[in-house]
Amino acid sequence: MAPTEPVVRVDDLRVTFPTMDGDVQAVNGLSFEVPAGGALGIVGESGSGKSVTSLALMGLHRGSRARITGAIEVAGQDVVSATDRQLRAMRGNDIAMVFQDPMQSLHPQYTIGNQLVEAHRVHHPKTSKAQARNHAVGALDRVGIPDPANRINSYPHEFSGGMRQRVVIAMGLMCDPKVLLADEPTTALDVTVQARILDLLDELRRDLGMALILVSHDLAVVAGSVDEVVVMRHGVAVERGDVRTVLSAPEHPYTQALLAAVPRVEVSRAQRRAQDRSDRLDKEKREGTVTDPAKFEAFTPAPAGGEPLLKVEDVAQSFKVRGGVLGRSTDFWAVNGVSFDLYKGETLGIVGESGSGKSTLSRMIMRLLEPTRGRVVFEGQDITHMSERALRPLRRDVQMVFQNPYSSLNPRVTVGDAVGTALRVQGERDTKKIKLQVQELLERVGLQPNHYNRFPHAFSGGQRQRIAIARALILKPKLIICDEPVSALDVSTQDQVLRLLSELQDDFGLTYIFVAHDLAVVRQVSDRVAVMRKGEVVELGDSDAIYENPQSDYTRQLLTAAPLLDPDEARSQRAEREALRAEAARTA
Amino acid sequence: MLNYILRRLGAGLLLLAVVTAVTFWIFYVLPKWAGVTPRGMAAMYVGKAPTPEALDATVERLGLDQPVIVQFFDFIRSLVFGDQFQFGRETVECAAPCLGYSFTTNSPVLEQLLARLPITVSLALGAAVIWLIGGVAVGVLSAVKRGSVFDRLAMGTALVGVSLPIYFTGLLALAFIVHEWKVLPVPRYAPLTENPGAWFTAMLLPWITLAFLHAAQYARQTRAGMLEVLSEDYIRTARAKGLSERKVIFKHALRPALTPILTIFGLDLGLVLGGAILTEKVFSLKGVGAYAIDAIIGKDLPVVLGVTLLGAVFIVVCNLVVDLLYPLVDPRVRIAG
Repeated sequence: MAPTEPVVRVDDLRVTFPTMDGDVQAVNGLSFEVPAGGALGIVGESGSGKSVTSLALMGLHRGSRARITGAIEVAGQDVVSATDRQLRAMRGNDIAMVFQDPMQSLHPQYTIGNQLVEAHRVHHPKTSKAQARNHAVGALDRVGIPDPANRINSYPHEFSGGMRQRVVIAMGLMCDPKVLLADEPTTALDVTVQARILDLLDELRRDLGMALILVSHDLAVVAGSVDEVVVMRHGVAVERGDVRTVLSAPEHPYTQALLAAVPRVEVSRAQRRAQDRSDRLDKEKREGTVTDPAKFEAFTPAPAGGEPLLKVEDVAQSFKVRGGVLGRSTDFWAVNGVSFDLYKGETLGIVGESGSGKSTLSRMIMRLLEPTRGRVVFEGQDITHMSERALRPLRRDVQMVFQNPYSSLNPRVTVGDAVGTALRVQGERDTKKIKLQVQELLERVGLQPNHYNRFPHAFSGGQRQRIAIARALILKPKLIICDEPVSALDVSTQDQVLRLLSELQDDFGLTYIFVAHDLAVVRQVSDRVAVMRKGEVVELGDSDAIYENPQSDYTRQLLTAAPLLDPDEARSQRAEREALRAEAARTA
Repeated sequence: MLNYILRRLGAGLLLLAVVTAVTFWIFYVLPKWAGVTPRGMAAMYVGKAPTPEALDATVERLGLDQPVIVQFFDFIRSLVFGDQFQFGRETVECAAPCLGYSFTTNSPVLEQLLARLPITVSLALGAAVIWLIGGVAVGVLSAVKRGSVFDRLAMGTALVGVSLPIYFTGLLALAFIVHEWKVLPVPRYAPLTENPGAWFTAMLLPWITLAFLHAAQYARQTRAGMLEVLSEDYIRTARAKGLSERKVIFKHALRPALTPILTIFGLDLGLVLGGAILTEKVFSLKGVGAYAIDAIIGKDLPVVLGVTLLGAVFIVVCNLVVDLLYPLVDPRVRIAG
């Protein structure tokens, strides 16, 4: 394999979409090469043109309105001028693709065996079904599906998200392609699963000599897996080069900003706070604007210590799971025996993977769910089994910010109404007063007062999350529960929202419960951290202590899975993970 | 899986029981509330200018003066075990499931229904095959060639099809195809077993007319379903494998798009099997639907009740079949059951 011969070559690629308001340039003059067996990372935020590029590489833009100029060459095949037949012969055979959402990218009504065999036989029509099937079992085994000979008869819904992504990768391997193109392959997955999938891709690349193109919005995801990286912004490659050089000495200001925005798991809460505060002072000095906390008089920064604001004692929540003969149901404990105290002005981070019970826990604290067992005490008042009517005055004291800013705002309600409704619900009748208060608050969260009459669709994801934060703040709550507030946002937007939350805490002495799956984010906002797994808290303590000296195996496992920005550290961490897995395999 | 089947079967039987009770209530209890006396009810059986003695005898014979609950159990008993009826000195056996006697013809309702059933079944099954195949084919083609002349023409025709009532399209077809152009002879129904040719020519026009109405709806549904499925991620996966467009559409897209069609097909077929009243009337077919209309006009309560129950049975059975087919079509239903 001569490293000089590129297996993928893109030269001055331009992709244009005609729209009602004229042409939109999704990709504008992009060029790169990937040598056989090499690995390239394409990084950019949403709208940077990275997904358009990967679809164009597969020729999958055909049938859409996209216009393509420039050259794309995959394994010697000119993709731009190829006939449909030539393209089909290339897809899956020379270049295979792994998609973002493994829950959606497999056909729900065919067994995975059927789908794998089909992927092979379309390019090798002479292979018998039995041979193709053996091949499929081998591929499933290769990607680490246990008991592949039996599992091949399963349907996609019988696999977890991580396992499905392995199946998609196995499908990609069916014709031994020269290039594997992975578009955000781990974005929808948990941290530990993400680490395993990235390890698998890296291993396959080394063992099978495939070239890998890894597309992601997260620099830390590609850092440990690629040799070269292209940073894209608005369809243009702003920086391109060796991954070590780009990450350690970025030249373009955008790359620098992007790197600065990536939350780092090694940065402590205190460091981050100090940084945020000094940045804020600089900015205020520069612009001569000083936010006056006195305007929001009801927020009185609370002294630390004293009675806890919230006491959670051994709470548990069970759900009935139907199944079995005659529909007998069994209990499933989503949360089982969680206890903690939360003091005023403090931030408690709750980390856990999907299914760990962290969302159920926050719903119980909100009393959107009634705990099956245990007690929730808010300001000395037991709210565990309080009636809805009795809860109503308390509702203003505890507010929530949700994960998806696109679906948590009603598209037909103006921003002003969305934020102001809570005041009306709590009995305020003076419309002018409501408007004034809402506008002040909009300004405080970084929006304009004249946004009052606009509808949510006019705002970006980050702005919408600001609206959601304003909505939570309007009643001057004592406790705000943020359920994955930044996980749907791009890295730079995520950084801004985190800063806003931290400033608001400084100004108003807010108390947060911050629920997230991202370890780095949680560390930077939390004084204390609870690590959850399968409905239980495996570790609870001071955030720096947990991150620097984890006590439980699970926390350690999570920490070694967290993506790192330094390519060399990421690689050594991968070796560490492999050693851990080998050890686990030996003991099991 | 067995669990699922048993539960569906149980639900079907329960539904039939409820329909029976409600129908009985409507036909026997509502009139009572409306002030119809047992004698008034009996008057419908006895005919013109009845003597009071004859009325009382009928009331006695049919148990019309009994409490509602007793009447209901009598009704259920004759449904399950059969019954005997006296006409003068003659005793007539009415085998289970006995739906009672027609007021007007004094013949068992069930016998009359069964005699008319072949016509309705011929009409329903033939039309269903046409509308299912035609509608789905047009829908798929429309979705694949979205925005083309074919698509616009087909969807325009479909809109017309959904909007026009049977008595309009049916009469139009009769007027032109049979009487004006004489393409088909005047339809004269003959049973399939006796004269297949006559059966076919007689049914062809009713089939097409009835199918046109439904096919239009199926074409629109299939088109919408296909368009939705074609934008799914797994279709992109299928294309990324290098599959031909034909494979992508017929293997990967059609199956999920047809899954919801199966549900409405079960309902529609059940409905039509219970009697396509307008079509039967327009084409003078003496099927269950036409029988129902005559019974309603003649206030022939037992017949109306019988037709209602028969319709309910068809709908329940068709839906049951759909429910049982569903796990075969969509494996995700299997665990949910």
